[in-house]
Amino acid sequence: MSADRQGGEPLLRVDDLRVAFATEGEPVQAVDGVSFELAAGEVLAIVGESGSGKSVTAQTLVGLTRSPNAHIGGSVRLGGEELIGAGESELRRVRGERVGMVFQDPMSSFNPVYRIGAQVVEAIRAHRPQASRADARERAVELLGSVGLPDPERQVDRYPFELSGGMRQRAMIAMALMLEPEILIADEPTTALDVTIQAQILELLRRLNRERGLATILITHDFGVVAEMADRVLVMHEGRIVERGDLDRVFYSPQDPYTRRLLDAVVRLDREPPLRPSRGEPPLLEVSGLVKHFPVKHGLLVDREVDRVRAVDGVSFSVARGETLGLVGESGCGKSTLSRTVLQLLEPTSGSVRFDGREIAGLSRRRMRPLRAQMQMVFQDPYASLNPRKRIGQIVGEPLRIQGVASGRELRGRVRRLLERVGLSAAHYQRYPHEFSGGQRQRIGIARALALEPKLVIADEPVSALDVSIRTQILDLLSELQDEFGLTYVFVAHDIGVVRHVSDRIAVMHGGRIIEQGPADRICEQPSDPYTKQLLAAVPVPDPREARARRASSAR
Amino acid sequence: MARFAVRRLAGAAAVLFAVSVLVFVIFNVIPNSDPARQLAGRTANPQLIASITREWGFDDPLPQQYLRMMQNILTGKVISYETEENVDERIVEGIPETFSLALGAAAIWMFFGILFGYLSAVRAGGPLDRGLTVLAVTGISMPVFWLAAILLNYLAYQFELVPAGGYVGITENPLEWAQHLVLPWVTLAIVYVGLYSRVLRSNMLDAMGADYVRTARAKGLSEHRVMTRHVLRNSLIPIVTLFGLDFGALLGGVIVVEGIFNLNGVGQYAYESLINLDLPPIMAITLFGAFFIVLFNALVDVVYAFLDPRVKLGSSAR
Amino acid sequence: MESRSPWYLAYRRLRRNRVALAFGALFVAIALFALAAPLWASHVAHTTPNATHTTETVEVDGETREVVDREGGPIGPLWLGAGGRFFLGADGHLGRDEMVRLMYGGRTSLFVGITAALITVLLATLLGLLSGYYRGWVDGLIARVLDVVWAFPVTLLGAALGLALALGGLRIGPIVISGDSVWVPILIIGFVYAPYVTRPVRGEVLALREQEFVEAAVSQGAGPLRIMFGELLPNVISTLIVFFAISVANSMLLESMLSFLGVGVQPPNTSWGTMIAEGFELITSSPLLTVLPGAMLLLTVLSVNVFADGLRDALDPRAKRRLEVHAGQTEPEGTAA
Repeated sequence: MSADRQGGEPLLRVDDLRVAFATEGEPVQAVDGVSFELAAGEVLAIVGESGSGKSVTAQTLVGLTRSPNAHIGGSVRLGGEELIGAGESELRRVRGERVGMVFQDPMSSFNPVYRIGAQVVEAIRAHRPQASRADARERAVELLGSVGLPDPERQVDRYPFELSGGMRQRAMIAMALMLEPEILIADEPTTALDVTIQAQILELLRRLNRERGLATILITHDFGVVAEMADRVLVMHEGRIVERGDLDRVFYSPQDPYTRRLLDAVVRLDREPPLRPSRGEPPLLEVSGLVKHFPVKHGLLVDREVDRVRAVDGVSFSVARGETLGLVGESGCGKSTLSRTVLQLLEPTSGSVRFDGREIAGLSRRRMRPLRAQMQMVFQDPYASLNPRKRIGQIVGEPLRIQGVASGRELRGRVRRLLERVGLSAAHYQRYPHEFSGGQRQRIGIARALALEPKLVIADEPVSALDVSIRTQILDLLSELQDEFGLTYVFVAHDIGVVRHVSDRIAVMHGGRIIEQGPADRICEQPSDPYTKQLLAAVPVPDPREARARRASSAR
Repeated sequence: MARFAVRRLAGAAAVLFAVSVLVFVIFNVIPNSDPARQLAGRTANPQLIASITREWGFDDPLPQQYLRMMQNILTGKVISYETEENVDERIVEGIPETFSLALGAAAIWMFFGILFGYLSAVRAGGPLDRGLTVLAVTGISMPVFWLAAILLNYLAYQFELVPAGGYVGITENPLEWAQHLVLPWVTLAIVYVGLYSRVLRSNMLDAMGADYVRTARAKGLSEHRVMTRHVLRNSLIPIVTLFGLDFGALLGGVIVVEGIFNLNGVGQYAYESLINLDLPPIMAITLFGAFFIVLFNALVDVVYAFLDPRVKLGSSAR
Repeated sequence: MESRSPWYLAYRRLRRNRVALAFGALFVAIALFALAAPLWASHVAHTTPNATHTTETVEVDGETREVVDREGGPIGPLWLGAGGRFFLGADGHLGRDEMVRLMYGGRTSLFVGITAALITVLLATLLGLLSGYYRGWVDGLIARVLDVVWAFPVTLLGAALGLALALGGLRIGPIVISGDSVWVPILIIGFVYAPYVTRPVRGEVLALREQEFVEAAVSQGAGPLRIMFGELLPNVISTLIVFFAISVANSMLLESMLSFLGVGVQPPNTSWGTMIAEGFELITSSPLLTVLPGAMLLLTVLSVNVFADGLRDALDPRAKRRLEVHAGQTEPEGTAA
């Protein structure tokens, strides 16, 4: 919905906002002269990568940047009232009554020891102490219902951990709206949620904006979300606004080179990759009826198994040599467990895994050892996948040492060549992981996986933790390496756009089972399973016109 | 909840059994000498040693020795050969004094520990915080027995501000009861005040950076409310469990304090027995001390489950 | 361009912490003081820590004074009045040189404290690594054993062991240790504190084990030893260093308490704890004999504790940084659903 400009004063006016943090070394200028306006009832998206300053901006608006090392300057006027430099009691009044905030992680944003109802009600009682407890509770129940929480009477008395992620986020939104503020600031409200839940929350926010005329500032890194939600867009980079304008204008004719680069990277994921011809040989990997259950033990004196977590519940698929199989599913579907069980990092409960014609399920550690050189993994978390106490040359060379393949000068030479091949400098051999960025660390992880020249590489969410502009670089790298080394990939991800970009075939996973598999474009364009359809429909499309069309058609 | 409690208590019983075996091992197996001679202590002579050997079954195989020892202790038949008193009786007599000391000290250290910790955290980095930190670190570095001796000498003997030791029952004369205990209470509490204020400060600083505190501020709650209802409340949970563990283990610290201030409790009994190299009372006191700790640990776990809903509702809620 | 290893960064942070450095220097000074004991004893005081001088006299500023007077009262501090002899006076009716005893006492107290702490940390490392890596029944077994030791109040357990072993000595297989060897309190204290360090180490190992870099090592075919010592241990060392320092402080306090009770260091060895016990008997007439060793002990333990704090801040600055980052400046990007 395009903004209903009521003409006259904007609701919020930000002028030359600056925030600098003093650190051990140089002071960091997180926000460097940001100015914008928010009109009543409009949805303004502030989009940028990590470190762009978008979150700091949002939190500084209501004075939540409280570090003693922060230097704040500039002006923030809310309907005429100046907020920068205002006293605590004024700011307190603004928070909750005029501006509500929703944060990224609803699990950690709620206090774990108080019930949901108590925390929701707390907001009212703090601002209107004369409100009776019964009234406040009634209002809480009503509000929880209006944000789509089923059975709000019961949910009110539940603890945060008892609710699912989506419900928690709804509760958080309700809590922010308790005092009927004019503005809602949502800082990455859906980033920690599954894609299907994300769609629901975005729908909720849209409805609230429409029905209540709630002006919304939406902070996000996801252009798909922006395309679905925003009236106007601000693009931030290194603390400054580099592009601003109406949604369509920014998407279809961006002026700033950085914005163009970002959009380019995003849009490219939608395009189809060139098809790799199938080689008609026996498959490299054949998984048949694979099962991995985790027993849940409970008992009076002795632990007895009372239940099982069926993480992988009978999975079958095969991967041909040189092909890329994309394994896609939401969190909890079992894809990570599956990839680890295939590699025998977890012992299968039952089922078969044939690698290169040989059965490897349940092999002893000793027998498995030489085979490990042929099947490697690229991990998700660039921070946790590298031992912080080792130099990167050591990390990349470790597999060669462990398998006794090379040593001394030869080993160092091979490591250096690997580093160069993945786009790093061999001169960085002696550096430590913390000296590199997230994208560079993933390159190190890839170099490590390739050190033993494996046949199969399982990549478990290799780009999920990276910024959008870096993602395409890493995906391109993986693609080049595949052609050069003749690798076979299993690409695990929750983002179907990413998966589509790299895969020849796709398998969709849900509840420990593969519910649909087939050629990538067939799955994406003509899915047969209802879950797949739901999954595809939920993915936010980074194209405003298409997003509008979809909403219109589903409304019909 | 009930299932959890039963499990905990069953586990505690198993630990107690292992504890009693360990006590047996410490006194009768590890040392490189004749256990009967050790029990006899300084009054050893051949007849006494022979009769001890019979009574405690030291000629029998080890498992039977263990059973004999447990039987003797639990049925109150252990006698100190040095003082010729019944060990169990003397222990029971000393309980009121020891409790008076322990509870009073606990009240003091909890109050001041939490107060100082809270102030330190709220004014972190400032002069008050630094000053309290200096006091806290000094507190935890303090040799308790030395402090007791120094305070006894200067405050009681030299300046006669407080009576120089001894115990007066609370039912006899409450004022004198307190007067006699002030110095012991303070001495015992100082180390814990230092420790608890640091732990609370650290917990609170962690909590202050937590996401849910940011949410609380974003709702417009007053700073005071944020600090008490959110930061303090969550930071106190580990303090409660720590208290349970420390209180249970207090029997160790009271030994020197009671000994120096002459308070006639279980601790003093242990103190005297150690000085006289008298084994039987130490065996019994060690066993009872461990029993007390295990009981308290189990209690603490149950209380913790009560305080933290994640543990209480645990696997049932998903 | 030189690389910045985590150790070098920690070293730089420590260097900036003047308070910690000052107390570290104080500890070194005290250690030197204690180590100088034999030099002082032979060249200045011309005596040994256990030599009695009950019936002797000294020349002070031309005057002849008794070391121990008729009522058994010892002579007070002479400072340099007798050329350094009885610098701090005599210790009770045995007339031993207090300064010499103080220095030798320091040697013993420091030796016991540091060695016991070493034992504690080594034991905790081994148990923590095994427990955290293997989990399962190994962890269960170790946890049960720790629970049992944990069930005893530290002082009581130490005292019970001290009493039993002081009387009878210790025999482990072929090794026999006599009851008055200084190794008895060392081993006792080392073992008694082991559970308190093992538990946090185990916790950290358990957490580290879940990290992806450990999975990576497994996927390369690394065996248990390589993972425990090559991947896990390097990440636990900084915690161990801090715990070692804290253990030194606690061990010294426990030793002195046990020695005070007569079940720690045994004569003829001297420690600050035994000196406090001896001084206590004369506290009203010669308080200095109690004040001195206790003050030395307090200063030493204090300096170790302050330095340990500085070490912790230097090795794990995240704790301090939490104070500074309230507004989530740079967050790692896009967490996967």
